[in-house]
Amino acid sequence: MTTVNVTPSDFTMVEFRVEDIVAVAERVIMQADLSGFDQLNIDIDEASPLARASIKSVDPLTLAVEGGAFEDTRRPRQLSEDRTADTIGRYVLKATDRINGGFSDAPSDDDLTLAQSVAWDVYCVGRLVKAGFKGQRKRRVYQFRNRHGFTDAADAAFDELWTASGLTWTELETISAAACEASGLS
Amino acid sequence: MRKSFPADDLARDERFNRVSQAERVQDPRLGGSGTSSRAKLTPALRSAPDRARSLMHGIFTGEIQALEGAGRTCFDFEIGAGEGEVPFELKLDMARQCWDEARHCEISVMLADHMGTELGEFTENTLLYEAACNTDPVLRLTGVNRALEGLAIDVFTTMKDFGTIAGDPVLEFCEDWMLADEVTHVKMGSDWLRNLTAGDRDRLDRALEFQRVVDKLFSFNGLRGEDDESPIQLTRRFREMAGFTDEEIDDIAELSREAAAS
Repeated sequence: MTTVNVTPSDFTMVEFRVEDIVAVAERVIMQADLSGFDQLNIDIDEASPLARASIKSVDPLTLAVEGGAFEDTRRPRQLSEDRTADTIGRYVLKATDRINGGFSDAPSDDDLTLAQSVAWDVYCVGRLVKAGFKGQRKRRVYQFRNRHGFTDAADAAFDELWTASGLTWTELETISAAACEASGLS
Repeated sequence: MRKSFPADDLARDERFNRVSQAERVQDPRLGGSGTSSRAKLTPALRSAPDRARSLMHGIFTGEIQALEGAGRTCFDFEIGAGEGEVPFELKLDMARQCWDEARHCEISVMLADHMGTELGEFTENTLLYEAACNTDPVLRLTGVNRALEGLAIDVFTTMKDFGTIAGDPVLEFCEDWMLADEVTHVKMGSDWLRNLTAGDRDRLDRALEFQRVVDKLFSFNGLRGEDDESPIQLTRRFREMAGFTDEEIDDIAELSREAAAS
């Protein structure tokens, strides 16, 4: 059972509630079968409407999240359960990939190229969709094309990553690099 | 049918969410550590695709309001030579603009789909339409056609360049076509401003002051400018084609610098 901790305990600049975020995180962990961590800490910078997030540490698993990553783009300062699940799910999946083997040779998050980073996102969100979460597939296609080219080869690579499971870093990186090369971006 | 239609009554379905300017200004996060990114919008930015989607959605709602504003200007004023009246030819120009804006709405809907954006995914601000509610047709055209359509020239040029660098032929092509129309709309504003205020210095000054107020409201806190790093590029060449003088363009650039420094 993973214990979820959220900081701050009260929000003053956005209308988020800790219990809602914890509930979403627990649902992600259960539905996507991500119970490999004893603890999940989520540190939120509520002062930021930007949407960056990162893994601060793997043991214990700690995510640093700017408030915009959980925000409803339709209703400023309100929590979006879908965006919260997407953000938590992607980063917990990435951390799980790293500790489960197969991704031990992946560069650190800071050293990933934009193409590699987006390819990994697509692989993660595809798995979240299979677990029953919304994935904004077309948005992810657009992000992927921006990094891999607006070509049929890039779209085929997207489909391969979106439907995949059990990939290793080498396999993921090969798919991404081949799409870039086919689009003349390498 | 009533004239001078209020922004609150604009027809929108349940997909759209409106946020007033007051709500935006009162967001406690403004001025904190997390103010909107001031980095130039280029594909090299990690957040570039989502920022482009958000910006294009803002353009889409702006196109709807521009259609509504031009339509109101066709209807709200009687034909004549008085201060609250307009020449028939001005109404024809506004009718042509309605046709253009309707086409831009359709292009924007398809572009949103291409970029993976749902209609209504981002909030709508009706400031553009509110500028089109001025009771003086000269001020209305100055605020909308010269200030806001002028801003559209800058945004479309920025997004066209973004599409070119990203290798996105759909975005590049759509922006180029809409940009051509925007230059025409700004030129209409410039021509009618001079036509309707010929011999009336006071009205010309009031119109230019209104344009300045609208330009300032939409200066995006200095995000628009002539520096290479400005997120939205002030496009001198197209503004010259649209009837702006060098001094007027210098003035807008200065407004942006002031907004950035404040």
